Amino acid sequence: MQPISLTVNGEKVQAHAEPRTHLGDFLREDQRLTGTHLGCEHGVCGACTVLIDGAPARSCIAFAVACEGREIRTIEGFGEDAVMGQLRIAFNREHALQCGFCTPGMLIAARDLVLRLPDADEQRVRVEMSGNLCRCTGYRGIVRAILSVLELRRAGNDPAIEVKPAQAVPEFKPFEASAPAVAAAGPAVALAAVQKAAGTVIEDEFTVDHPLAKVWEIFGDMPAVAACLPGAEVSEHTPTSLKGKVSTKFGPMKASFAGAAALERDESAKRGAIKGNGTDSLSGSRARGDISYQLFDAGNGRTRVAVAIDYSLQGPLAQFSRGGLVREFVKKMVADFAANLNARLGAPAGAAPAVAPVMTISAGSVLWSWLKKLFGSNS
Amino acid sequence: MKAAAFEYLKPQDVPGAVKALAGSAGDAKPLGGGQSLGPMLNLRLARPKLLVDVSRLEAMRTIEDKGAFWRIGGAVTHSAIEDANLAGCTVMSDVARNIAYRTIRNRGTIGGSLAHADPAADWPLALPALAATIVIAGPAGERSVPAGKFMKGAFATELAEDELVVAVEVPKLSPGARWGYWKFCRKTGEFPEASAAMLMDPERKLARLWVGALDGAPQSLDALAADIAMRGTQAVSETSVSAALDLAVPGQEPVSRRLHVTAVRRAVQKGFN
Amino acid sequence: MSEEHGKPGQGIGARVPRKEDSRHLHGRGQYVSDTVIPGQREVAFLRSPVAHGIIRGIRKPANSEGRVFTRADLAEAKDIVAPSTLPTYKLSGQPPLAHGKVRFVGEPVVMCVARTRAEAEDLCEQVELDIEELPALVDSDVARFEKSNRVHEDWDDNLFLTLSADNGFDALSKKATVVVNREVELSRQAMVPMEGKAVVAYWDERADQLIMYYSTQTPHIVRTGIAQFLGLDEGQVRIIAPDVGGGFGYKVIVHPEELSVAWLAMKYRKPFRWIEDRREHLVSGANARQHHYRLTAYADDKGRLLALDAEITIDGGAYSNWPFTIGLEPGQATGNLPGPYDFQGYRCKTYCVATNKPGFMPYRGVARTGVCFAMELLMDAIARAVDRDPYEVRMENLVRPEQMPYDNVVKKHYDSGNYPAALALAREKFDHSKWAERQKKGEPDGRKIGIGYASYCEQSAHGTSVFATWGLPLVPGYDQSAVKLTPDGGLEVRVGVHSHGQGMETTFAQLAHEILGIDVQKIKITHGDTGTTPYSTGTYASRSIVMAGGATLKACQELIPRIVKIGAFLLGCKEDEARFDKALGVVGPDGRAVELKEICTVWYLRPDRAPLDVDRRGLEVSVSYKPDRDTGAFSYASHAVAVAVDTETGQVEILDYVIAEDCGTLVNPMVVEGQTLGGVAQGIGTAMYEEIQYDANGQPNASTLADYLLPGPTEIPNMRIYHMETPSPYTMYGIKGMGEGGAIAPPAVIFNAVNDALRATGVEVSKTPLTPHRLLEEIERARHQQMPKREAA
Repeated sequence: MQPISLTVNGEKVQAHAEPRTHLGDFLREDQRLTGTHLGCEHGVCGACTVLIDGAPARSCIAFAVACEGREIRTIEGFGEDAVMGQLRIAFNREHALQCGFCTPGMLIAARDLVLRLPDADEQRVRVEMSGNLCRCTGYRGIVRAILSVLELRRAGNDPAIEVKPAQAVPEFKPFEASAPAVAAAGPAVALAAVQKAAGTVIEDEFTVDHPLAKVWEIFGDMPAVAACLPGAEVSEHTPTSLKGKVSTKFGPMKASFAGAAALERDESAKRGAIKGNGTDSLSGSRARGDISYQLFDAGNGRTRVAVAIDYSLQGPLAQFSRGGLVREFVKKMVADFAANLNARLGAPAGAAPAVAPVMTISAGSVLWSWLKKLFGSNS
Repeated sequence: MKAAAFEYLKPQDVPGAVKALAGSAGDAKPLGGGQSLGPMLNLRLARPKLLVDVSRLEAMRTIEDKGAFWRIGGAVTHSAIEDANLAGCTVMSDVARNIAYRTIRNRGTIGGSLAHADPAADWPLALPALAATIVIAGPAGERSVPAGKFMKGAFATELAEDELVVAVEVPKLSPGARWGYWKFCRKTGEFPEASAAMLMDPERKLARLWVGALDGAPQSLDALAADIAMRGTQAVSETSVSAALDLAVPGQEPVSRRLHVTAVRRAVQKGFN
Repeated sequence: MSEEHGKPGQGIGARVPRKEDSRHLHGRGQYVSDTVIPGQREVAFLRSPVAHGIIRGIRKPANSEGRVFTRADLAEAKDIVAPSTLPTYKLSGQPPLAHGKVRFVGEPVVMCVARTRAEAEDLCEQVELDIEELPALVDSDVARFEKSNRVHEDWDDNLFLTLSADNGFDALSKKATVVVNREVELSRQAMVPMEGKAVVAYWDERADQLIMYYSTQTPHIVRTGIAQFLGLDEGQVRIIAPDVGGGFGYKVIVHPEELSVAWLAMKYRKPFRWIEDRREHLVSGANARQHHYRLTAYADDKGRLLALDAEITIDGGAYSNWPFTIGLEPGQATGNLPGPYDFQGYRCKTYCVATNKPGFMPYRGVARTGVCFAMELLMDAIARAVDRDPYEVRMENLVRPEQMPYDNVVKKHYDSGNYPAALALAREKFDHSKWAERQKKGEPDGRKIGIGYASYCEQSAHGTSVFATWGLPLVPGYDQSAVKLTPDGGLEVRVGVHSHGQGMETTFAQLAHEILGIDVQKIKITHGDTGTTPYSTGTYASRSIVMAGGATLKACQELIPRIVKIGAFLLGCKEDEARFDKALGVVGPDGRAVELKEICTVWYLRPDRAPLDVDRRGLEVSVSYKPDRDTGAFSYASHAVAVAVDTETGQVEILDYVIAEDCGTLVNPMVVEGQTLGGVAQGIGTAMYEEIQYDANGQPNASTLADYLLPGPTEIPNMRIYHMETPSPYTMYGIKGMGEGGAIAPPAVIFNAVNDALRATGVEVSKTPLTPHRLLEEIERARHQQMPKREAA
């Protein structure tokens, strides 16, 4: 609990809040101002909109402790406010509410719009209100109500609308561009990702300057292989199994999948697989990853390595629509694995052009610290 | 859907913030407007032990005219940029105006958005195209990185765990410059599925064309940009854009490719209209 | 028939502003989550991360006695079992907390209790689930034939239910000269009321009752369910449904979480609160709309439909819900597919398949959004096959007004209406020729214009006989209304239905005003509390205004002779010389009148002035009602739409949307419009935005509103709505229900318009939602015919 003092609807409030308590919960549960509704708690629906220092904000993703010294105004705090009064009348007349759950947030956003954009037309009203979702009305009544208040206010005010003169854009003169000061970070990773029956498969291939027998040997050395997989730690292993965990960090998201893997080796085909399963205990999410590899003699003492990861993710960490981001993440892991393996085998730089570009890894990432460790031990 | 417990710290100044971040071994996150981090916290996808609130550091809250460029503090909100009329950089307002929703823009900050590095976000695309510079503060003081080098991938940037985006420096456009920005969103305010930004500034010999909303960081299409500088919209066709994307974003599935081709063509078209 | 019309006054047909608005406009609404009972504890659920698996073990954290609960702890609570009399129906027991197996991602497994919700969630994280995964049954077409891997082990396959119909199919299909095949599909979605499920439960020691503040549309049947599943007398349970932030069908069910929290309050005699958050809703509540149709139409060469052959597969999810059962959806699909059309040959086989997803539940429109989508896409396909205007073909196939009342091919009894007139009205108001011209001319920006029509009829106020055929464990009968005049001449009306946006606090007052003339502001509607209202199965299936509204009208009528008796005595005339006048009160033969208020005062406060033979039942009455013919009152509508399709982005913009509807006598046109427009907005969501995809493991891909897109103000057009009024011959005042209709037609009309726009390209879309991605995929496929069809499951 942390002490905070702020102003709520004109009254000074001294209170204590846990840092994790968001402003919406603080207002509803501690201040008993239940007119602020929570519709999604992740900043999309707009039901929890309040004013923070006069500007509409989502109270569900503002933390109460971060509102120290701020002035908060909720739907209960508009008393005789003229614009709010006009909006209330208009909302009732235009049937702009049904179940009423979105209404407080809708009104606070609408009031801001009316004051900020007195000349807004219907399209602008719709765009400006698009951060507030209503599941009942189909928005027509809401839009009409807001337009009627804008109209009312325009009629009452001096209608001096500033007309901006159209600015003439000079004719475009072709030119020879100077080379950009920065080259882009390099092309995006181009590994194929294929949606398969139960997971996504990412395949890669690279060549190392070592004979097949040596490469086959290192693939049999589990700690060495694991060391090439970013974030992997092996706690125990036998020739056919291992236990350990894989820690991942993806922007602000972190997970640590603890589990086991079964190892398969087909000496004659020079083919093998590491089939792992793990659970992130905090989120309850599960990951499965099957890494399979096959080695081919590429001649001149070189070996071509084909690697594929077939992975699937289950549980809360999986339940998002932007699968491309996860694919990108796993692609990077495969590429890192390949690069690390190459490095481990002591391949000269540039031997693996397919994966070199992705070595641009953010400092501070798990991989980065691991690489530092690796290079450190080598030098 | 309540966040896991964390501690909250409001440092007095930038060095204080950097020190707090450095002192917590990767378990701290700077908190700007919290418009991306907040949802991730509530969903317990992010579980830092410490939040370092940088949203009220005065040094990061100013917008300054530096002559050839504007310096915009990292904690300046999108809506402040939307409402500012930055001479030579009014395009910044146009970009800001179309980020998410006003309530989000009232809290969300330009530095926070950059540091978060969502591949579909607006600033990581617009700022490289505007040839902006990102100013980073860390334990050793400030350093600057060209915007095009800042983002390294999805949610990955140049920033170390103990660094902050304190400002962005956006060069002013010449009067004859052309700016085109286009993004395709399934609905207003949501993350785009494809986006592109173009700057043609004859006076400064600057030709920039960037494509965004990829799986990873935005990518530049330099050769095509140079060609547009020479030949205007004539340089832009289905074929030329596809070829440029083949190089910069290989292996896209056909529908995404179609959307990104469209984004590039429309951004250019907007710039020349 | 114009927009914005309304009768003067406050009675039936008047556009009376809503009485319930004021509290919401001031932030004074009272929702379950606003309720705090001193000492209340918060509840969170740990949910299954996998779709299908055997629970090998659950490890509770140390010292969590009384704070962490599994199914084994809830000994007094029974599994939720919904019986049905439908043949072939298989029972599925849904435990309040998963037991033995988990059957969908998000199924509650462990219940944790703490001082705050955040702490309860912390506690959930300390519980370890050991679940051995089984292959997930995700695709209903696969699960239908799968016998070894089963959602329910005690079954021999994965079929909840199979229904079939065959009326005159063989004879009529033989006469056809044109045969058209189509496959259409609707994706799984969630209902997403802005307020999710919510419950506060405690034991009132003095009343010796389990009191539950419960976000429900149906407080009385929820009470029946909770009492049954906890082994309590119904008298020991009181359900209070305060303000409810949207229902849409999601809140007509007794959900396992609600039962678990009820058990807590019963067991520990303390207050507990659980508020469903948005992630819980999207993951565990993805339970609607997923139908798959294989259709063959048999028509003549003018496009007149002769016979229809259909195979319908419904992805039923894991459990049958109580009390509506999994049988409702296939029952409605099979029975409603023929829609507003006149044809006599029909064969239909409907499979409702168990899969590892949340159990199917009745969402606004129930199966009719699906069947309308199937039938209307087929109607356009027939028109294409015979190379005629879809409008004309549709028009010629509709049931004609002179056929009313009309018994259709499955013996649905269409009570009244002029279906072709609604279609013609839609076309006229839509200004078809304007759009056709614009389509021909082409857009400057290259987008393609498309025009679409769709017609449907909506069975409302389904009565006892209809529900009985769906095999439900609980069949609605008569609805009651208890009305009471107050000493000051006001009126109290108590009904067992619940209003959560439908405006019944206003419309029911209008009905009472229609009979008694009392100012609507002085008429108080009480609903949503089993302790104070008469039994009703509640608000669902577009029934409240006909059923509870009808009962209210009847009850008010029953008061009139009692009022007149007192009035005549006060006027000094005979009863049969006096009459009741809404404005004046009781009027005598000489024109003198005594006000209603005075009559009320006499009965309650001055009985010394009342006649000795006064009707001693007094000025309050409880009346029950259902229409004499209870096969339903059919509302209907035609929708017309113009779209612009951007073939470079797959974006579809709705340029104009016109609704011509007839829901019988309009009680409050403003409320009818609000219900319709809101329904259409949800239908547009179904058509274009809302979807939860499942991967091969049965993982849903949407747990936030950033993944699951709800249409906002820029996605919903400025719709235009026009009314027709054909009273139902069977209901009081000819009123029909209409709460669901808006949500029925939008997918059909939008897809027809898009297919019209893309006709030249050979693209024909038939799977909801029409995301830009899905449309672009179709366009790309048409461009390069070799591209293989790839659809996410």
